[in-house]
Amino acid sequence: MSRPVARLGLRSNSTAAALALAAAAMLVPANLLPVLSTESSGSDRSDTIFSGCVELWKQGLWAIALVVFTASILIPVLKIAGLCLLLLGARRGDPGQSRRLTRVYAALDFIGRWSMLDVFLAAFLTGLVQFGEFSTVTPRSGIVAFAAAVVLTVLATQAFDPRVLWAADTESQP
Amino acid sequence: MGETPSLTCRLCGAEYRAVVLEPGERALCVRCDTVLAQGSRLGPDTALVFSLTGLILALPASLLTFVSAGKLGAERLSSLFTGVASLWGGGMRSLAVLVLLCGGLIPLALLATLAAVHAQARLGWPKADLRPLVRFAHALGHWAIPEVQVLAVLVALMKLGSVVDVRLGPGFWCYCAMALSLLIAERSFDFDSSAPAGGSGAATKP
Repeated sequence: MSRPVARLGLRSNSTAAALALAAAAMLVPANLLPVLSTESSGSDRSDTIFSGCVELWKQGLWAIALVVFTASILIPVLKIAGLCLLLLGARRGDPGQSRRLTRVYAALDFIGRWSMLDVFLAAFLTGLVQFGEFSTVTPRSGIVAFAAAVVLTVLATQAFDPRVLWAADTESQP
Repeated sequence: MGETPSLTCRLCGAEYRAVVLEPGERALCVRCDTVLAQGSRLGPDTALVFSLTGLILALPASLLTFVSAGKLGAERLSSLFTGVASLWGGGMRSLAVLVLLCGGLIPLALLATLAAVHAQARLGWPKADLRPLVRFAHALGHWAIPEVQVLAVLVALMKLGSVVDVRLGPGFWCYCAMALSLLIAERSFDFDSSAPAGGSGAATKP
């Protein structure tokens, strides 16, 4: 179905595919490397995104743990899965799926911003918790990889042109 | 006004002829169900008023104390940009720039753009001039995320609650109000610049 797309002068989706792939690759270091280290009265710990969530859960802050888990782990994965679905759907060009896939795109567009939560969290904690040897928070390299992954997913969603989902439909119009 | 204003669905690209909507009315795309435009319940100047409010609130939000934290007698006041400064100082410059842009500068630029678009529409300037500004506003919209920063601060407070004594300052509340103003201004923003001035366009296929 690439011909009608080209004839309509739409953007190619290869950019979106490349960006989504890069985002998926960035999620690996983002989840494996520590994002924050906390030093509090002698005890020192480094947390990855996941271990940070587990720690919140253990402290009894399960609602907060769920919010962080959704924003930092679930949404990035959902976004990449959703983008794959859209790219495959656009390739297949089944007009029956156009409406559903457009809804998927709108949903991805909406949820994407919330995955920036962890980046803001790291920035805020770093700025606030600076009490010398009593309590200090330092950002670690994982957060940079995570921020890069989030930025790449947002760019990928923007690079995807939802009009390709309607290419067959637009073709048939006069 | 000459020719009939037209409206394009931002998701599927279908073309529509613009009509004026009543307050509370919404125009949906026939093809993909996307909201094309909605008549604001608060009146045609909602977007202008709230974008100006947001711009004014940005000043106290960035100057006043955001959060104060105390630990063993030591008190630390932080402003909106303390985190950015710490990241920059700690060598994570790209991260500092990202946080500064998404949480501060881009929301501000979006508020200014929305205010400019609506002020021009109000003054009845030629519609053609608005198109690049509207496109610019849509592009900024993806990166203006003050509401996510608000959530991050709340999450951080819950997290720190047991370790550090934290109090929210007036700067934080101004920032919340700014985020809310931006949300309302964006929501009541006409989805297409060619909609009739002061109103909201959409519906009916050509």
